Amino acid sequence: MTPTLPDIMTGFAVTLSTPLPPESGGDYMVGRMGMLTMLSMLASQEAERGTAARVWENRAIRAILGKAAATYDTPDGALAKAAREVDTDFTWSGLDAANAALRRQLIALHEKAETAGDRDLDRQIIALYGEMAHARRLEIAGG
Amino acid sequence: MTLIERLEAYLTRTHGQPATVTTLSRISGGASRETYKFDAEIGGEAKGYILRRDPPGSLIETDRRLEFLAIQSFRDKNVAAPEALALEMDGAELERPFFIMGRIEGGAPGSPFAADPYAPHGRAIGEQFFSIMGRIAGEPVEGLPILEVTDMPAPDQCWRRELDYWAGVIDEDELHPQPIVRAAIRKLRANPPPPAQKIAVVHGDYRSGNFLANGSGDIIAILDWEMAHLGDPLEDLGWATDPLWSLPGSPTISGTISLEDGIAAWERASGLKVDPKAFAWWRLFASVKGQAIWTSSAKEWRDGGFKEPILAFSGWYTARRQDQILAAHLAALEAL
Repeated sequence: MTPTLPDIMTGFAVTLSTPLPPESGGDYMVGRMGMLTMLSMLASQEAERGTAARVWENRAIRAILGKAAATYDTPDGALAKAAREVDTDFTWSGLDAANAALRRQLIALHEKAETAGDRDLDRQIIALYGEMAHARRLEIAGG
Repeated sequence: MTLIERLEAYLTRTHGQPATVTTLSRISGGASRETYKFDAEIGGEAKGYILRRDPPGSLIETDRRLEFLAIQSFRDKNVAAPEALALEMDGAELERPFFIMGRIEGGAPGSPFAADPYAPHGRAIGEQFFSIMGRIAGEPVEGLPILEVTDMPAPDQCWRRELDYWAGVIDEDELHPQPIVRAAIRKLRANPPPPAQKIAVVHGDYRSGNFLANGSGDIIAILDWEMAHLGDPLEDLGWATDPLWSLPGSPTISGTISLEDGIAAWERASGLKVDPKAFAWWRLFASVKGQAIWTSSAKEWRDGGFKEPILAFSGWYTARRQDQILAAHLAALEAL
């Protein structure tokens, strides 16, 4: 998993409170401060969009699992069951735990679609990947 | 003892005459190595050097030797490799494995996040960037020092060896399921490229940001050879042209020249041809390799106690951007 916002904030504290040897001043220190500045800008984007992106992605994966359940579900009905679930824990750790389980099911479903030569489902999943990546995007000024 | 004192003791012993280190400062040079620039006066002669030292607890001694020998392989080969001067695998006075290179003055790396990092010399830099990469690709590997530490893959196995390795890195370091890169790995396995047209030295991290350019439009040093190996020469071309190293929507590679012009320069310099099917495979592979590296960065950052901000940046921003690039690659391939 890419670092979470709490990880990033912890990193700020650790970096700023760790003394460096004399030879690590100058350019190296300037570089570290520049990196912290960039991370701060990215953190503001993640604070704004991170929860929404996680909630949206979990819903989107559940929707595609639900649509595919009729053809690809396992004997225990795992896809249909996952599709019926809703997020109730809106902490980031709670959303990420649900997301990890959903992503594993999505990977397995995509493999099945590829094996079956199901171009339509393959196309839908790849389109979803594009939307997932976009929802979690981080942007650097000019980049 | 301070690091300066240790360095002076080492230089004095190995040169057999008093050495004085007049300046020493750490510089940003990748998170996996401590990189320092220093000036030393040895026997009355003052020179500038670069020290690359393993971090505490490092287990990557082979990589250190490999980087040293890769640089040595291309010294005086018209590819702007620095001068590799000393390698100490047991660390000697500096306690940890290190090597020393001659410092090349008067240049700076360009930022992949700048719109026009080499202006007004973008075209000249681009021509050299692809031509030097082509010369590395075209160099016969027989007799090169790097052969001491790397094996020769069969031409039809280059792709498999690299894909197995980097997919394995993701298996080992992944902390959260990554469906996009998993789909790309399956796509690569299902559609292998044709055999390599020759076995070449692959720099392994040849890209914008890993060379020094002076203000007059010249590339004066190719840096960061630590991932060098033997393989398909198209691997470097795929990595260097990954969209990650250019601003989104840019018509050029890293603010230099177009992909078409870059490939033409590479072909002229290498004497090799770029097969479109093979190149498409190596471009998708480059994004998989990138995602593997960023996955490891995130893990290393956590395991290391959140200390190095560059690892957080690589494991976060860069990984997210790489997912966007991978998803775009997959959509483009799906549309064919």
